[in-house]
Amino acid sequence: MKFIKPKDIENLYDTLDTTEQQYLLAGGTDINVQINNGIIRDPNIIYISHLKELSGIEETNNEILIGSTTSFKDVIESRIIKKYFLLMYNSLQNFASPLIQTSATIGGNIANGSPTADVIPILLALNAKLLICSKSNKREVPLKDFFTGYKKNVMKNNELITKIIINKNAEQKYQTYYQKVGSRNSLAIAKVAVAGIKKVVKEKIIDIKLAVGSLNEYPRRLFKVEEYVTGKRLTEIDFEKVEELLNSEITPISDFRSDKEYRYHVCVNLIRTFLNE
Amino acid sequence: MKISFTLNKQAVTIDVEPMKRLLDVLREDFNLLGAKEACGEGECGACTVLLNGEPVTSCILNAAHADGSEIETVEGISQTELGKLIIDCFDETNAVQCGFCFPGFFISSYHYIKTDGEKDLNKIKTALSGNICRCTGYEKIFESVMLACERAN
Repeated sequence: MKFIKPKDIENLYDTLDTTEQQYLLAGGTDINVQINNGIIRDPNIIYISHLKELSGIEETNNEILIGSTTSFKDVIESRIIKKYFLLMYNSLQNFASPLIQTSATIGGNIANGSPTADVIPILLALNAKLLICSKSNKREVPLKDFFTGYKKNVMKNNELITKIIINKNAEQKYQTYYQKVGSRNSLAIAKVAVAGIKKVVKEKIIDIKLAVGSLNEYPRRLFKVEEYVTGKRLTEIDFEKVEELLNSEITPISDFRSDKEYRYHVCVNLIRTFLNE
Repeated sequence: MKISFTLNKQAVTIDVEPMKRLLDVLREDFNLLGAKEACGEGECGACTVLLNGEPVTSCILNAAHADGSEIETVEGISQTELGKLIIDCFDETNAVQCGFCFPGFFISSYHYIKTDGEKDLNKIKTALSGNICRCTGYEKIFESVMLACERAN
Protein backbone atom coordinates (compact mmCIF):
# COMPACT_ATOMS: atom_id res chain seq x y z
CA MET A 1 0.00 0.00 0.00
CA LYS A 2 1.21 3.42 -0.96
CA PHE A 3 -0.12 6.83 -0.01
CA ILE A 4 0.70 9.71 -2.31
CA LYS A 5 -0.27 13.33 -1.80
CA PRO A 6 0.58 15.19 -5.03
CA LYS A 7 1.87 18.68 -4.39
CA ASP A 8 -0.11 20.20 -7.25
CA ILE A 9 -2.27 19.27 -10.21
CA GLU A 10 0.70 18.70 -12.59
CA ASN A 11 2.25 16.42 -10.03
CA LEU A 12 -1.09 14.59 -9.81
CA TYR A 13 -1.05 13.85 -13.55
CA ASP A 14 2.57 12.62 -13.31
CA THR A 15 1.59 10.41 -10.39
CA LEU A 16 -1.39 9.00 -12.29
CA ASP A 17 0.95 8.14 -15.17
CA THR A 18 3.31 6.16 -12.97
CA THR A 19 1.09 4.50 -10.34
CA GLU A 20 -0.56 1.15 -10.97
CA GLN A 21 -3.97 0.07 -9.66
CA GLN A 22 -4.59 3.25 -7.76
CA TYR A 23 -7.61 4.66 -6.01
CA LEU A 24 -8.24 8.38 -5.82
CA LEU A 25 -9.21 9.64 -2.38
CA ALA A 26 -11.27 12.83 -2.06
CA GLY A 27 -14.06 12.85 0.54
CA GLY A 28 -13.52 9.19 1.32
CA THR A 29 -17.13 8.40 2.22
CA ASP A 30 -17.34 5.44 -0.16
CA ILE A 31 -13.76 4.21 -0.35
CA ASN A 32 -13.15 4.20 3.40
CA VAL A 33 -16.20 2.01 3.97
CA GLN A 34 -14.84 -0.40 1.35
CA ILE A 35 -11.37 -0.36 2.93
CA ASN A 36 -12.78 -0.85 6.43
CA ASN A 37 -14.92 -3.77 5.23
CA GLY A 38 -11.99 -5.41 3.48
CA ILE A 39 -13.55 -5.05 0.01
CA ILE A 40 -10.50 -3.02 -1.03
CA ARG A 41 -7.22 -4.39 0.31
CA ASP A 42 -3.81 -2.71 0.33
CA PRO A 43 -4.81 0.04 -2.08
CA ASN A 44 -2.43 2.53 -3.63
CA ILE A 45 -4.04 5.79 -2.61
CA ILE A 46 -3.64 9.09 -4.40
CA TYR A 47 -5.04 11.83 -2.21
CA ILE A 48 -6.72 14.67 -4.14
CA SER A 49 -8.90 16.37 -1.53
CA HIS A 50 -6.46 19.29 -1.11
CA LEU A 51 -6.21 20.19 -4.81
CA LYS A 52 -8.27 23.38 -5.10
CA GLU A 53 -8.41 23.29 -8.92
CA LEU A 54 -10.64 20.22 -8.73
CA SER A 55 -13.43 21.81 -6.72
CA GLY A 56 -15.84 24.68 -7.18
CA ILE A 57 -18.67 25.61 -9.53
CA GLU A 58 -18.16 27.89 -12.53
CA GLU A 59 -20.50 29.46 -15.03
CA THR A 60 -19.52 29.99 -18.68
CA ASN A 61 -21.66 31.37 -21.51
CA ASN A 62 -23.46 28.13 -22.17
CA GLU A 63 -22.46 25.71 -19.48
CA ILE A 64 -22.09 25.08 -15.77
CA LEU A 65 -18.90 23.32 -14.77
CA ILE A 66 -18.82 21.48 -11.44
CA GLY A 67 -15.38 20.48 -10.18
CA SER A 68 -15.25 16.79 -9.42
CA THR A 69 -14.24 17.15 -5.77
CA THR A 70 -16.99 19.68 -5.04
CA SER A 71 -18.83 18.44 -1.96
CA PHE A 72 -22.56 17.80 -2.02
CA LYS A 73 -22.94 20.50 0.59
CA ASP A 74 -21.36 23.00 -1.80
CA VAL A 75 -23.52 21.75 -4.68
CA ILE A 76 -26.71 22.14 -2.65
CA GLU A 77 -25.71 25.56 -1.34
CA SER A 78 -24.62 26.87 -4.74
CA ARG A 79 -26.71 29.75 -6.08
CA ILE A 80 -25.75 28.70 -9.60
CA ILE A 81 -27.16 25.21 -9.14
CA LYS A 82 -30.34 26.56 -7.58
CA LYS A 83 -30.74 29.07 -10.41
CA TYR A 84 -30.25 26.67 -13.33
CA PHE A 85 -30.93 23.15 -12.09
CA LEU A 86 -33.83 22.99 -9.66
CA LEU A 87 -34.09 19.28 -10.39
CA MET A 88 -30.64 18.79 -8.93
CA TYR A 89 -31.12 21.29 -6.14
CA ASN A 90 -34.37 19.73 -4.94
CA SER A 91 -33.37 16.11 -5.49
CA LEU A 92 -30.13 16.34 -3.53
CA GLN A 93 -31.62 17.91 -0.40
CA ASN A 94 -32.02 14.48 1.18
CA PHE A 95 -28.73 13.10 -0.15
CA ALA A 96 -27.33 10.78 2.56
CA SER A 97 -27.18 13.04 5.64
CA PRO A 98 -25.82 16.51 6.41
CA LEU A 99 -22.72 14.83 7.86
CA ILE A 100 -22.03 12.93 4.64
CA GLN A 101 -22.93 15.89 2.41
CA THR A 102 -19.99 17.80 3.91
CA SER A 103 -17.42 15.20 2.86
CA ALA A 104 -18.87 13.32 -0.10
CA THR A 105 -18.01 14.66 -3.55
CA ILE A 106 -20.00 14.69 -6.77
CA GLY A 107 -17.13 13.20 -8.79
CA GLY A 108 -16.69 10.50 -6.17
CA ASN A 109 -20.34 9.51 -6.40
CA ILE A 110 -19.88 9.08 -10.16
CA ALA A 111 -16.45 7.43 -10.18
CA ASN A 112 -17.38 4.96 -7.43
CA GLY A 113 -20.10 3.93 -9.85
CA SER A 114 -22.52 2.32 -7.44
CA PRO A 115 -25.76 1.18 -9.12
CA THR A 116 -27.53 3.15 -6.38
CA ALA A 117 -25.47 6.36 -6.65
CA ASP A 118 -27.96 9.18 -6.10
CA VAL A 119 -26.51 11.86 -8.33
CA ILE A 120 -26.09 9.77 -11.48
CA PRO A 121 -29.76 9.45 -12.58
CA ILE A 122 -30.18 13.19 -11.97
CA LEU A 123 -27.14 14.04 -14.10
CA LEU A 124 -28.28 11.58 -16.77
CA ALA A 125 -31.64 13.36 -16.98
CA LEU A 126 -29.75 16.64 -17.38
CA ASN A 127 -27.63 15.10 -20.15
CA ALA A 128 -24.39 15.89 -18.30
CA LYS A 129 -20.91 15.30 -19.73
CA LEU A 130 -17.71 14.50 -17.91
CA LEU A 131 -14.38 16.17 -18.58
CA ILE A 132 -11.79 13.43 -18.23
CA CYS A 133 -8.12 14.41 -18.14
CA SER A 134 -4.72 12.82 -18.09
CA LYS A 135 -1.26 14.33 -18.42
CA SER A 136 -1.39 14.39 -22.21
CA ASN A 137 -5.08 14.25 -23.04
CA LYS A 138 -8.45 15.86 -22.32
CA ARG A 139 -11.73 14.45 -23.49
CA GLU A 140 -15.42 14.96 -22.90
CA VAL A 141 -17.52 11.87 -22.36
CA PRO A 142 -21.32 12.04 -22.13
CA LEU A 143 -22.31 10.50 -18.80
CA LYS A 144 -24.69 8.18 -20.67
CA ASP A 145 -21.63 6.57 -22.31
CA PHE A 146 -19.38 6.53 -19.23
CA PHE A 147 -20.31 3.24 -17.60
CA THR A 148 -19.53 -0.10 -19.21
CA GLY A 149 -20.53 -2.51 -16.44
CA TYR A 150 -20.88 -2.94 -12.70
CA LYS A 151 -18.45 -0.36 -11.27
CA LYS A 152 -16.70 -0.29 -14.64
CA ASN A 153 -16.23 2.78 -16.82
CA VAL A 154 -14.35 4.07 -19.85
CA MET A 155 -11.54 5.76 -17.90
CA LYS A 156 -7.94 4.65 -18.29
CA ASN A 157 -5.69 4.14 -15.29
CA ASN A 158 -3.98 7.52 -15.80
CA GLU A 159 -7.19 9.56 -16.13
CA LEU A 160 -9.44 11.33 -13.70
CA ILE A 161 -12.77 13.14 -13.88
CA THR A 162 -12.02 16.84 -13.44
CA LYS A 163 -15.39 18.41 -14.21
CA ILE A 164 -19.05 17.63 -14.63
CA ILE A 165 -20.45 19.77 -17.43
CA ILE A 166 -24.13 20.62 -17.83
CA ASN A 167 -25.72 22.85 -20.44
CA LYS A 168 -27.28 25.87 -18.75
CA ASN A 169 -30.57 25.29 -20.56
CA ALA A 170 -30.68 21.59 -19.74
CA GLU A 171 -33.96 21.83 -17.81
CA GLN A 172 -35.31 25.16 -19.02
CA LYS A 173 -38.90 24.86 -20.22
CA TYR A 174 -38.94 21.22 -19.11
CA GLN A 175 -41.06 19.59 -16.46
CA THR A 176 -38.80 17.76 -14.04
CA TYR A 177 -39.35 14.68 -11.94
CA TYR A 178 -37.39 12.86 -9.27
CA GLN A 179 -38.38 10.10 -6.92
CA LYS A 180 -36.12 8.06 -4.75
CA VAL A 181 -37.66 5.17 -2.89
CA GLY A 182 -35.83 4.10 0.26
CA SER A 183 -36.62 2.74 3.69
CA ARG A 184 -36.25 6.02 5.53
CA ASN A 185 -35.75 9.71 4.78
CA SER A 186 -32.11 10.23 5.65
CA LEU A 187 -29.18 7.94 4.90
CA ALA A 188 -31.32 5.79 2.64
CA ILE A 189 -29.77 3.79 -0.13
CA ALA A 190 -32.25 3.82 -2.98
CA LYS A 191 -34.30 0.74 -3.79
CA VAL A 192 -35.47 2.53 -6.92
CA ALA A 193 -34.70 6.02 -8.24
CA VAL A 194 -36.26 7.72 -11.25
CA ALA A 195 -35.18 11.10 -12.62
CA GLY A 196 -36.63 12.70 -15.69
CA ILE A 197 -37.28 15.85 -17.65
CA LYS A 198 -39.89 16.30 -20.37
CA LYS A 199 -40.97 19.08 -22.68
CA VAL A 200 -44.64 19.06 -23.55
CA VAL A 201 -46.07 21.29 -26.28
CA LYS A 202 -49.77 21.21 -27.05
CA GLU A 203 -50.15 18.05 -24.92
CA LYS A 204 -47.52 16.29 -26.99
CA ILE A 205 -44.22 15.12 -25.48
CA ILE A 206 -41.65 16.63 -27.81
CA ASP A 207 -38.55 15.73 -25.79
CA ILE A 208 -37.91 13.53 -22.78
CA LYS A 209 -34.93 12.26 -20.85
CA LEU A 210 -35.60 9.49 -18.40
CA ALA A 211 -33.04 7.82 -16.14
CA VAL A 212 -33.19 5.17 -13.43
CA GLY A 213 -30.94 4.03 -10.59
CA SER A 214 -30.78 0.82 -8.54
CA LEU A 215 -32.35 -1.16 -11.39
CA ASN A 216 -29.29 -2.16 -13.44
CA GLU A 217 -25.56 -2.73 -13.04
CA TYR A 218 -25.22 1.03 -13.28
CA PRO A 219 -27.70 3.91 -13.50
CA ARG A 220 -28.86 4.40 -17.08
CA ARG A 221 -31.14 6.24 -19.48
CA LEU A 222 -34.27 4.48 -20.74
CA PHE A 223 -33.73 5.21 -24.42
CA LYS A 224 -36.39 2.84 -25.74
CA VAL A 225 -39.11 4.25 -23.51
CA GLU A 226 -37.98 7.78 -24.38
CA GLU A 227 -38.13 7.03 -28.09
CA TYR A 228 -41.56 5.41 -27.87
CA VAL A 229 -43.25 8.27 -26.02
CA THR A 230 -41.58 11.11 -27.93
CA GLY A 231 -43.98 12.77 -30.34
CA LYS A 232 -47.01 11.20 -28.67
CA ARG A 233 -49.91 12.75 -26.87
CA LEU A 234 -50.60 11.29 -23.44
CA THR A 235 -53.77 9.65 -24.79
CA GLU A 236 -51.71 7.93 -27.48
CA ILE A 237 -49.33 6.24 -25.07
CA ASP A 238 -49.98 2.53 -24.62
CA PHE A 239 -48.72 1.75 -21.14
CA GLU A 240 -48.49 -1.95 -21.87
CA LYS A 241 -46.00 -1.05 -24.56
CA VAL A 242 -44.12 1.19 -22.09
CA GLU A 243 -43.90 -1.75 -19.67
CA GLU A 244 -42.69 -4.05 -22.40
CA LEU A 245 -39.91 -1.61 -23.38
CA LEU A 246 -39.05 -0.93 -19.78
CA ASN A 247 -38.71 -4.65 -19.21
CA SER A 248 -36.04 -4.79 -21.89
CA GLU A 249 -34.13 -1.89 -20.33
CA ILE A 250 -34.08 -2.70 -16.64
CA THR A 251 -32.75 -5.76 -14.83
CA PRO A 252 -33.83 -5.37 -11.21
CA ILE A 253 -32.38 -7.82 -8.73
CA SER A 254 -33.44 -9.08 -5.31
CA ASP A 255 -31.08 -8.28 -2.48
CA PHE A 256 -31.22 -7.45 1.23
CA ARG A 257 -32.70 -4.04 0.42
CA SER A 258 -35.65 -5.07 -1.71
CA ASP A 259 -36.82 -7.65 -4.21
CA LYS A 260 -36.99 -7.51 -7.96
CA GLU A 261 -40.77 -7.64 -8.26
CA TYR A 262 -41.17 -4.71 -5.88
CA ARG A 263 -38.48 -2.72 -7.69
CA TYR A 264 -40.09 -3.44 -11.05
CA HIS A 265 -43.60 -2.40 -10.01
CA VAL A 266 -42.43 0.74 -8.24
CA CYS A 267 -40.41 1.73 -11.30
CA VAL A 268 -43.41 1.20 -13.60
CA ASN A 269 -45.64 3.26 -11.33
CA LEU A 270 -43.14 6.10 -11.00
CA ILE A 271 -42.65 6.33 -14.75
CA ARG A 272 -46.40 6.23 -15.33
CA THR A 273 -46.82 9.03 -12.78
CA PHE A 274 -44.18 11.15 -14.48
CA LEU A 275 -45.64 10.62 -17.95
CA ASN A 276 -49.14 11.42 -16.69
CA GLU A 277 -48.12 14.59 -14.85
CA MET B 1 3.36 11.26 7.45
CA LYS B 2 3.59 14.40 9.54
CA ILE B 3 0.29 16.23 9.81
CA SER B 4 -0.46 19.49 11.60
CA PHE B 5 -3.86 20.77 12.52
CA THR B 6 -5.76 22.71 15.13
CA LEU B 7 -7.45 20.48 17.66
CA ASN B 8 -9.92 22.19 19.97
CA LYS B 9 -8.20 25.52 19.29
CA GLN B 10 -4.68 24.20 19.95
CA ALA B 11 -2.07 23.65 17.25
CA VAL B 12 -0.91 20.03 17.14
CA THR B 13 1.50 18.03 14.98
CA ILE B 14 1.63 14.28 14.80
CA ASP B 15 3.47 11.63 12.82
CA VAL B 16 0.78 9.22 11.72
CA GLU B 17 -0.16 6.74 9.00
CA PRO B 18 -2.15 9.01 6.63
CA MET B 19 -4.94 6.48 6.03
CA LYS B 20 -5.55 5.95 9.74
CA ARG B 21 -9.17 6.78 10.48
CA LEU B 22 -9.60 10.25 11.92
CA LEU B 23 -11.74 8.72 14.68
CA ASP B 24 -8.82 6.48 15.71
CA VAL B 25 -6.38 9.38 15.59
CA LEU B 26 -8.57 11.32 18.01
CA ARG B 27 -9.21 8.39 20.33
CA GLU B 28 -5.82 6.67 20.27
CA ASP B 29 -3.31 9.43 19.60
CA PHE B 30 -5.02 12.22 21.53
CA ASN B 31 -7.02 10.21 24.05
CA LEU B 32 -10.18 12.12 23.15
CA LEU B 33 -12.80 9.46 23.82
CA GLY B 34 -15.94 11.54 23.25
CA ALA B 35 -16.37 10.59 19.61
CA LYS B 36 -17.55 6.98 19.50
CA GLU B 37 -17.59 4.19 16.98
CA ALA B 38 -20.84 2.35 16.37
CA CYS B 39 -21.52 1.56 12.72
CA GLY B 40 -18.09 2.46 11.33
CA GLU B 41 -19.71 3.36 8.00
CA GLY B 42 -20.80 6.95 8.42
CA GLU B 43 -24.44 6.09 9.01
CA CYS B 44 -24.98 6.55 12.73
CA GLY B 45 -23.18 9.78 13.59
CA ALA B 46 -21.74 8.58 16.92
CA CYS B 47 -18.29 9.68 15.69
CA THR B 48 -19.34 13.22 14.66
CA VAL B 49 -16.73 15.99 14.99
CA LEU B 50 -16.42 19.43 13.39
CA LEU B 51 -13.95 19.70 10.52
CA ASN B 52 -13.40 23.34 9.56
CA GLY B 53 -16.63 24.14 11.35
CA GLU B 54 -18.74 21.53 9.56
CA PRO B 55 -20.03 18.32 11.13
CA VAL B 56 -18.54 15.14 9.64
CA THR B 57 -18.38 11.45 10.47
CA SER B 58 -14.79 10.87 11.60
CA CYS B 59 -14.99 7.08 11.12
CA ILE B 60 -14.84 7.45 7.34
CA LEU B 61 -12.33 10.28 7.19
CA ASN B 62 -8.59 9.82 7.33
CA ALA B 63 -5.73 11.42 9.19
CA ALA B 64 -4.83 13.00 5.83
CA HIS B 65 -8.07 14.98 5.86
CA ALA B 66 -7.07 16.59 9.15
CA ASP B 67 -3.83 18.04 7.79
CA GLY B 68 -4.05 21.83 7.75
CA SER B 69 -7.58 21.85 9.10
CA GLU B 70 -9.38 22.82 12.25
CA ILE B 71 -10.99 20.06 14.26
CA GLU B 72 -13.29 20.44 17.21
CA THR B 73 -14.58 17.58 19.32
CA VAL B 74 -17.15 17.30 22.10
CA GLU B 75 -14.32 17.80 24.62
CA GLY B 76 -13.59 21.28 23.23
CA ILE B 77 -17.09 22.41 22.31
CA SER B 78 -18.58 21.42 25.66
CA GLN B 79 -16.37 24.08 27.27
CA THR B 80 -17.85 26.89 25.19
CA GLU B 81 -20.74 29.02 26.38
CA LEU B 82 -23.10 27.68 23.73
CA GLY B 83 -21.89 24.14 24.39
CA LYS B 84 -22.74 24.47 28.07
CA LEU B 85 -26.14 25.92 27.25
CA ILE B 86 -26.94 22.94 25.00
CA ILE B 87 -25.80 20.42 27.61
CA ASP B 88 -28.07 22.09 30.17
CA CYS B 89 -31.02 21.80 27.79
CA PHE B 90 -30.35 18.09 27.14
CA ASP B 91 -30.08 17.64 30.88
CA GLU B 92 -33.31 19.48 31.72
CA THR B 93 -35.40 17.61 29.16
CA ASN B 94 -33.90 14.23 30.12
CA ALA B 95 -32.91 13.72 26.49
CA VAL B 96 -29.95 11.44 27.18
CA GLN B 97 -30.48 7.81 28.06
CA CYS B 98 -27.41 5.60 27.57
CA GLY B 99 -25.39 8.54 26.27
CA PHE B 100 -23.46 6.73 23.53
CA CYS B 101 -24.96 8.84 20.73
CA PHE B 102 -24.93 12.07 22.69
CA PRO B 103 -21.56 13.52 21.58
CA GLY B 104 -22.75 13.21 17.97
CA PHE B 105 -26.17 14.75 18.62
CA PHE B 106 -24.48 17.44 20.67
CA ILE B 107 -22.16 18.43 17.83
CA SER B 108 -24.90 18.43 15.18
CA SER B 109 -27.09 20.51 17.52
CA TYR B 110 -24.23 22.93 18.24
CA HIS B 111 -23.56 23.37 14.53
CA TYR B 112 -27.25 23.95 13.79
CA ILE B 113 -27.68 26.53 16.53
CA LYS B 114 -24.46 28.30 15.55
CA THR B 115 -25.21 28.47 11.82
CA ASP B 116 -29.00 28.80 11.79
CA GLY B 117 -30.61 28.44 15.18
CA GLU B 118 -34.22 28.95 14.14
CA LYS B 119 -36.62 27.21 16.53
CA ASP B 120 -38.11 25.13 13.73
CA LEU B 121 -38.77 21.46 14.32
CA ASN B 122 -38.41 20.42 10.67
CA LYS B 123 -35.10 22.19 10.28
CA ILE B 124 -33.84 20.63 13.51
CA LYS B 125 -34.92 17.18 12.36
CA THR B 126 -32.99 17.66 9.11
CA ALA B 127 -29.92 18.96 10.94
CA LEU B 128 -29.91 15.92 13.23
CA SER B 129 -30.82 13.41 10.51
CA GLY B 130 -27.28 12.00 10.34
CA ASN B 131 -27.38 10.94 13.98
CA ILE B 132 -29.10 7.83 15.23
CA CYS B 133 -30.28 7.14 18.79
CA ARG B 134 -31.09 3.51 19.62
CA CYS B 135 -32.69 4.27 22.98
CA THR B 136 -35.56 5.78 20.89
CA GLY B 137 -35.25 9.15 22.50
CA TYR B 138 -35.74 11.44 19.49
CA GLU B 139 -38.72 13.41 20.79
CA LYS B 140 -36.84 14.52 23.87
CA ILE B 141 -33.75 15.29 21.82
CA PHE B 142 -35.80 17.52 19.51
CA GLU B 143 -37.39 19.13 22.56
CA SER B 144 -33.98 19.92 24.04
CA VAL B 145 -32.67 21.45 20.80
CA MET B 146 -35.86 23.53 20.49
CA LEU B 147 -35.23 24.77 24.02
CA ALA B 148 -31.57 25.47 23.24
CA CYS B 149 -32.57 27.48 20.15
CA GLU B 150 -34.89 29.58 22.29
CA ARG B 151 -32.28 30.23 24.94
CA ALA B 152 -29.40 30.84 22.57
CA ASN B 153 -31.27 33.62 20.78
